[in-house]
Amino acid sequence: MALKDYRPMMERCSSCASCKFIPFDKIKSLRFAENCPSIGYYNFMTYSARGRYQLAQSILDGRTDLNETVVNTIHSCTSCGACDIACKVTRYNLELLEHNIELKAYAVEQGKVLEGQRPVIENLKKENSMIPGVKKANRTDWAKDLKLKDLFKEKGDVAFFAGCKYSYDKKLQKVAQSAVKLLQSAGVDLGYLGAADNCCAGRAHQMGFYDEFASRADSNIKAFEKAGVKTIVTPCSDCYHAFKRQYARLGFNVEVLHVVEYVDRLIQEGKIKFTKSVPLTVTYHDPCHLGRLGEKYEPWNGKEKKIFNQIQIWEPRRPRYNGAHGIYDPPRNIIKAIPGVKLVEMERNREYSWCCGAGSGCNESNPELSTWTAGERITEANATGANVLVTACPWCEDNFMNAVDEDGNKMKVLDIIELVQQAL
Amino acid sequence: MALSREIYQALEAIVGKRNISEDIGVCETYRSIPSQSSAHYGPSKTWTPLPQAVLLPGSTEEVQNIVKICNKYNIEFKASTTFWSTMGHIGSDYGIQLDMRRMKKVEIDVKNMTAIIEPFAIAATIQAEAMKVGLNLNIPGVGCSSSTLASTAGWVGFGPATIFMGSTPENLLGAEWVLPNGEVLRTGSHGSGDGWFCGEGPGPSQRGMLRGIFGTAGTSGVCTRMAVRLHPWPGPKDFPTRGTVPAYRADFGENLKFYTLCFPSWEAWARSVQYFHESDVLYLGHRQFSMFGRNLKAAMLRILNNPDLQLSDLEKVLEDPEIKKQTESMKLDYQIVIAGMTKRDLQYKEAAVDYILKQTGGWKNDMMLDKEMHDYGLLYLTRLGHKNLNYVMCGAYEGTFGLSPNVWKTIKVVEDAVAIKRKWELEHTSIAATGGDSAMGSTSGIGGGGATGWEFFTNFDSYEDASVEGTCKFMDGNQEFHNKHSFGPDFCRWNADVRHMNGYSYTQEEHDELFIKTPQPWVYAYQYKMRKAINPKNLCGSYFRTLTPEKLEAAEKGR
Amino acid sequence: MAKGISSDDPELLDFFAGDESFARPIKPQLVVCPENVEKVEALVRWANETKTPLVPVSSGPPHFKGDTVPSVPESVIVDLRGMNKIISINRQQRMVIIEPGVTYGQLQEALAKEGLTLSTSLAPRATKSVLTSVLEMEPRLNCVHQFNYTEPLRCTEVTFGDGHRIFTGEAGNGPLDLKKQWDLEKWQVHSNGPNMTDMLRMVLQAQGSMGIVTWASLKCELLPTLHKMYLVPAKKSVDLEDFVYKTIRVRFSDKLFIMNKAYLASLLGDTKEKIADLKAVLPNWIAPVGISGDILLPEMKVAAQEQDIADFAKECGLQFLSAIPGASGEEVLTKAINPSGNVYWKQTFKGAFQDIFFITTLDKTSTFINAMYEMAIEEGYPTEDLGVYIQPQHMGTSVHLEFSLPYDPNNVKEVKRVKELYITASKAISKLGGFYARPYDIWATIQLNKDAQTYKVLKDLKDVFDPNNIMNTGKLTLK
Repeated sequence: MALKDYRPMMERCSSCASCKFIPFDKIKSLRFAENCPSIGYYNFMTYSARGRYQLAQSILDGRTDLNETVVNTIHSCTSCGACDIACKVTRYNLELLEHNIELKAYAVEQGKVLEGQRPVIENLKKENSMIPGVKKANRTDWAKDLKLKDLFKEKGDVAFFAGCKYSYDKKLQKVAQSAVKLLQSAGVDLGYLGAADNCCAGRAHQMGFYDEFASRADSNIKAFEKAGVKTIVTPCSDCYHAFKRQYARLGFNVEVLHVVEYVDRLIQEGKIKFTKSVPLTVTYHDPCHLGRLGEKYEPWNGKEKKIFNQIQIWEPRRPRYNGAHGIYDPPRNIIKAIPGVKLVEMERNREYSWCCGAGSGCNESNPELSTWTAGERITEANATGANVLVTACPWCEDNFMNAVDEDGNKMKVLDIIELVQQAL
Repeated sequence: MALSREIYQALEAIVGKRNISEDIGVCETYRSIPSQSSAHYGPSKTWTPLPQAVLLPGSTEEVQNIVKICNKYNIEFKASTTFWSTMGHIGSDYGIQLDMRRMKKVEIDVKNMTAIIEPFAIAATIQAEAMKVGLNLNIPGVGCSSSTLASTAGWVGFGPATIFMGSTPENLLGAEWVLPNGEVLRTGSHGSGDGWFCGEGPGPSQRGMLRGIFGTAGTSGVCTRMAVRLHPWPGPKDFPTRGTVPAYRADFGENLKFYTLCFPSWEAWARSVQYFHESDVLYLGHRQFSMFGRNLKAAMLRILNNPDLQLSDLEKVLEDPEIKKQTESMKLDYQIVIAGMTKRDLQYKEAAVDYILKQTGGWKNDMMLDKEMHDYGLLYLTRLGHKNLNYVMCGAYEGTFGLSPNVWKTIKVVEDAVAIKRKWELEHTSIAATGGDSAMGSTSGIGGGGATGWEFFTNFDSYEDASVEGTCKFMDGNQEFHNKHSFGPDFCRWNADVRHMNGYSYTQEEHDELFIKTPQPWVYAYQYKMRKAINPKNLCGSYFRTLTPEKLEAAEKGR
Repeated sequence: MAKGISSDDPELLDFFAGDESFARPIKPQLVVCPENVEKVEALVRWANETKTPLVPVSSGPPHFKGDTVPSVPESVIVDLRGMNKIISINRQQRMVIIEPGVTYGQLQEALAKEGLTLSTSLAPRATKSVLTSVLEMEPRLNCVHQFNYTEPLRCTEVTFGDGHRIFTGEAGNGPLDLKKQWDLEKWQVHSNGPNMTDMLRMVLQAQGSMGIVTWASLKCELLPTLHKMYLVPAKKSVDLEDFVYKTIRVRFSDKLFIMNKAYLASLLGDTKEKIADLKAVLPNWIAPVGISGDILLPEMKVAAQEQDIADFAKECGLQFLSAIPGASGEEVLTKAINPSGNVYWKQTFKGAFQDIFFITTLDKTSTFINAMYEMAIEEGYPTEDLGVYIQPQHMGTSVHLEFSLPYDPNNVKEVKRVKELYITASKAISKLGGFYARPYDIWATIQLNKDAQTYKVLKDLKDVFDPNNIMNTGKLTLK
């Protein structure tokens, strides 16, 4: 859909403020009631989903041009989808996240991007990675000592896809390595794409760089198909969302699992057994792209219809993508299965989890927003009394590791795989 | 006319660079459009005027300094919090918008059951903080996503909890206002630094200047803090909301019960309300789900409570014989919550409800007795967090009619109002055909009962011009009905005399022409004088209704 | 006094020149008794033209607060006692409309016939105007039903000092004629408004300095079919705080207040000797707790609250009794809700008294009480005579705290001592944070000196409603 096709939604938004808060039924305190990092940081209405709808109307009507401030506003959104979920508690006909991204794409189409985005996209084109400065040649260094099958040369049951962050970030590579070893030790027949392992480009789509995403996705789909992949497992939530939702929209039809889903399954099958107690109090951060944005893609080609004069419905029924079926329980099952670990929940969890701030390339293009957002989450994590913040996404982990809470305190951050390792 | 650099820099120096913007994109998002908002005039697709700058003040002091600049340079200013309603937006081409988002603190005095709140503290957050210490607050029908301070200072403020807790003006204690002349007025005991506990005096209560039957909609300056009363909450300290979105529900324990009471006639309905008004039985009372319309409410409840259903399933759900039965059962209903402060208290209140039902021939709807539905309804009424269900059908709604606050007068005419709406639904396509009766409202508009408030939810498509225009015509017609029964302005047009359809303010001359015709014009003449005392330059738009006293005196002499 | 009369009879002028308080007597020039609102309007217009101060009086004597004493010479007393009709009682709406001269006894008797009653202030004097009592916001015994601070007062008809007349509250939105409003089924129920301002609040606690009210609509309660009172004794006032907080928080009781023995003895004792006897046997502090039921399962309601409140008392280490040495709950209830006899009960002990009252919160009352006792000792005032009354209000958010100082008006030393104590204590209380919401006499200066902005706005309001400053000129320090 083009931006103008969202006009009915823009005009049917009623400025009710839902997009600025977690679902009201879930609010437990003043401190942790809000859900949108963008308006949370900038405060002007413009930065909320409602503001974006209204901004888009004024752009389409010619009242506003794409000046520097407007462009900054448009791109200062982590595409976390929290606004979308909150709205959909009671609305069936608005797509806030889709529109936020479409507005970005509209700006990108006209060359209106942030300076910090340029190196990200440039490197995607040049080195097949959205991490500026890294080289394609080093992409699979992390896996060199692992016995991962090259799926172009050998058959394997499951394709392991580490993603750019785990592939290149030296402090995080060990997580991907541990994940591979864990799955292999549980008897999973793992392979990878080897030289054809390239960025999923999911973040490019979130940033509005549709062409760049489409180009990379097209290549990747062909690679997976050529390698005969039927199942992908990834420890990166961004990649998870890319394959499960964005690629699926392009007709890519394979089973996509996050490592947490796989490990949860293996624990239940008795193929992973914990032998050590881990006396930690942990809190779990639901990554946006695994949680509320981790629902399966359902093809839909329908239209709006009105019944009872004016009640708008979709014909046929349109998939809701309201976060109801995101991946929340598997990581919690894993944590609860580890002896000695006590899990305490943050107030904003599951489908209304607070974003880590790294989404949509904001960690590169808008570091202040990104850092502030992560700091908010550290404050919330510390408020639970937990020693450790556990999550299942390298972008979240990296952002949290570099952040401090409102009192300047850091928090220990672990990937869930690292927590599992401690119990083996 | 843009702000001069000198003025802009002066304002920037007050709030800091980060908290001011004159960017066109930012300013455009601070306009309001009646078809997409709650405006109580229109609906129309005309945006309110463009502010010349938007500011985010962080303290009373900052607000005061901003207002002083506005006084110096004759700049209109308006403050708003959640920006849901058109009321908070400016009405002229030379004005600035204050966004109170940065001021959201809540402090609670547990013993004396008081919360001191700032503008952006929405009712949900105040309630969440209050519940931690066994307290609760009145959340008006506008919902928990609205600012409690704004509901108190700016608009009406009654809802399900009013019968037990009082409406927003009844809960107001001390307050802190930056008056339009730049002075800071602290009302009641707060003024002398004695504390927030008393909102009246010394002597005549100055808050009377700042809030009447409804608030002053931002025209008396900016309220930056206030103290509101809190009330007992015999439920859990932590909201135990469960369920798959959107079917959230909560078990609040043994002390709270939710019922949908149904009656065989409006007369029986009114008698039951009278009983509740005369007793201390209810905790919450609202005719809530009728917002979906008589024909659709049972089906909507089914859809909202099943995560696998959506609006597209509505027609199919309506075919279910069980839903048909429930639709009939709930025709003349309202929802209540009783709260037992002790076990014995709950027993008494349960017995009292049963007694009232026996006396009036009413019954408890059985679908809503099911545990899952019970917990849904209880959560719904307590948190009142689903305001945007107002828009679920079409994207826009306005509340029409309003009828009389006197339940005995209302029931005589309510079916006539239902018939008018139903006829329009069937003969036109502009509004959703929900069954005529979509009257939602509080069992009491004031603490302890004695007045009720209703609005017929009229759902229309804010995108479709024909729907907007047709809805406008429908509302024009309703005023005739209201006039016939001397009900005053139709709820959907309460603000028709304070903002033009084109979004601009009224002039003094226009207001004079309107209010000189009212039954007691001196009310408006006094309001003129009060406004002159605190807002000599008339800087806050025309929501404050005034009549030039000299004109009235001349007219009176002429008679 | 007959209606429609005006008089400059010297005895009558002397009568209105002063009252039982320490307010400086100033003789009025005339006493006028208007018989209807048209006469009131005409009077106010005349007063504007001639710049004559008017002092409205609606209650019969004795007066105690100085508000009916002219503060400036050449004043005219507007005696409204002759306007004493109960205009209407509406059982369905639970509303009554009264004129200024209606007294509690008169009203409660009429209401009882309709199954209604009005929440009352504590044992009002027989001649007290109900309308003045509610306008001046005298504290009510039932704070649990005080949703609005202004309960039970709803709408009024007021002629402001500039001569214009309106109705306040929802009544201000209809015709300026009660009968026409009733024809439209408007019952003057809602106190807020009529529009974006609360005109009612302009005449509240104003001592008649903004306008003259000629009728008021009041919200009634149902007459209890079952009504009990229990007594909770304690050694110190602070011992009762948790119990009172607990009970009011859950909205139990229909009357709840705290008194020390001196105050309760004065209320119960019909003679000086009886009062002295009671003081000897009563506990130091007592919290009377009323429980009632009306049409909705009264026995069940009363039984439930009796047991629950008894449990609360026990949890606080207190007893919940139907009688204490010297008094039964029934006796206290009877005295509390009924008007005083011919001699106002506060005058029984020594003939005169001076009250000091203000608003605070329950948890701060012990600070004020301790301070007051210390000041009494310093001034040589017999502390066993010092009466203390704590009335929770507005559903427990604040309390009316009152110190009552009986004295012999014929004893020069006592008069001097009480006057000095009154002044010293009033100032000290203000310094401690006591709020004179009803700023009579010296309290007006004390309170308004603490809040310059409020004073400025008060003057602005005075300019709006009484531009020629003819309404009770000088009150609230507005000269």
